[in-house]
Amino acid sequence: MNAPAIRLEHLGKRYGRVAALRDVSLTVEQGEVFGFLGLNGAGKTTTIRILLDLVHPTSGRAAIFDLDCQARGLEVRARLGYLPGEPGFYGDMTGDATLDLLGTLAGQRVDPARHAMLIDRLELARADLRRPIREYSTGMKRKLGIVQAFHSDPPLLVLDEPTEGLDPLMQDAFYDLLAESRARGRTVFMSSHVLPEVERVCDRIGLLRGGELVLLSPVQDVRTLAGRRVRVTFGADVAAPPSWPEGCEAVSVSPRTWDLRVRGELGAVVSLLGTRPVADLDVQMPHLEEVLKKYYANAP
Amino acid sequence: MRSSAVVLAVHSVRRMRAVLIAIALVLGGFQFLLTQVAAFLLRRGGFGVISSFIPDFMQNFAGPSMLAFTSFEGVVAFGYFHPMVLSAHVGLAIAIATEPAAEVETRFADLTLARSVARHELITRTVFVLVWSELVMLLVMMLSTWAGLACCTPADTPRPGAATIRSLAILLGAITLCWGGLALAAAARVKRRSTASGGIAVAALAAFLLDYLARIWDPAKVVARFSPFRYFEPMSLLAGGQLEWRSVAVMLAIGAAGATAGYIMFSRRDL
Repeated sequence: MNAPAIRLEHLGKRYGRVAALRDVSLTVEQGEVFGFLGLNGAGKTTTIRILLDLVHPTSGRAAIFDLDCQARGLEVRARLGYLPGEPGFYGDMTGDATLDLLGTLAGQRVDPARHAMLIDRLELARADLRRPIREYSTGMKRKLGIVQAFHSDPPLLVLDEPTEGLDPLMQDAFYDLLAESRARGRTVFMSSHVLPEVERVCDRIGLLRGGELVLLSPVQDVRTLAGRRVRVTFGADVAAPPSWPEGCEAVSVSPRTWDLRVRGELGAVVSLLGTRPVADLDVQMPHLEEVLKKYYANAP
Repeated sequence: MRSSAVVLAVHSVRRMRAVLIAIALVLGGFQFLLTQVAAFLLRRGGFGVISSFIPDFMQNFAGPSMLAFTSFEGVVAFGYFHPMVLSAHVGLAIAIATEPAAEVETRFADLTLARSVARHELITRTVFVLVWSELVMLLVMMLSTWAGLACCTPADTPRPGAATIRSLAILLGAITLCWGGLALAAAARVKRRSTASGGIAVAALAAFLLDYLARIWDPAKVVARFSPFRYFEPMSLLAGGQLEWRSVAVMLAIGAAGATAGYIMFSRRDL
């Protein structure tokens, strides 16, 4: 059986009296795209920095491919590509020189075809790569950051707010790259504030609140927590039933319109409507955002 | 395959090459200029005139340091302990040694250390660049002195010996590496380059002034023992003394202790 790509066991980190992470345990399997969510200061970046051995945990353990991130950091980091939240490029270096340096430090030869593919897909012109980075826009710096993270096609990608500063077209290009990486069996661990993005690309999510992991679930399951919204419009006035089927909750009821929230199967609702003059039926899948905002709102 | 420290050292030198070349040109030019000034004063009999302008009590007070202003050898050698030259060397060493703090501050260290690069390689890189750049500066200065003496001074002029110039350069290099090591220790501890470089620059200035004070005011001698400049004694070389290897060793030991502390602190800290 394959080792998990990431395993966190009771991970904790304190900065003096402030607990940045508290007893966080989770596993990310190989080939998964895992979304790591939370408000600012929830502990997402601290967790990522522990994985990279930039920060030492106060308690617990972090491992990548069963290699301890602190004790065997060099082996761990040879297996991952990292996109920081704020890539710290030197303004006086060109994009080309930066990629050359980081590629040399990685100790792996970058496939020229892959390099060309990445800069083409992210629309980084060759002329731009020859300019000093201080002349780059925020979006171009982000694109350069993505290129360096994907350069060596590592088995694990750790991405901190990857689409921050990218325009919608470049976001799509990034999602395509991510999908291709996943198709090749790569694992992705990404933190994000953008819930539609997480919903679109992630298989599972973990949500941190105040340094604690308060939700760990497949994206699909999180959606069902919220329940589907069902709007029924009638051709004539109808009375509400004395009781609603199990899993069905009335949000608002009028003689011609019912707004319902349904968790689980829709069969019971369809049976209930069978004898009534239904003019229209609108079923909306819930958005991740609806559920997660509740978790965010419950922040202490 | 080259080690990461070497790759990073080459990268650092490339980034700083304009500054390094400019400082080397200024220092080299200054040494050359001093030989010409000394030759000019010699031709015009200027050393005697200078001596006559300095009152006896000042000459007695200054002791052997008067040689720096009243002899051909002294003026030529002055470039190896002139306060501005010392400032250039120590300032450059501080700038180079605080690169780890700059990399943490700008988060460039996140990108380098996200690869299979050990933290100690960033410190090793800094030590490489520090020693290499100091050797280059000293070499340029010595070559400029030699060129100035060879091309434009009368052959029968009593010149400072090669051993004296070499010893002066060793002293200057030792005090520079001493402060470089201390700056590296500070840079390994803090998150901002300005904190490390500012703190060490102020400490260096305070230590220099303290040592100066102790040379003219006995009660300050007790405290001045803690100033690395206490071990920087170029005047004794001009007066015909031998290089004090013990003093060189003390300065290099302080620098090495700073670098070692840098290794330890940088490997243990959170970035």
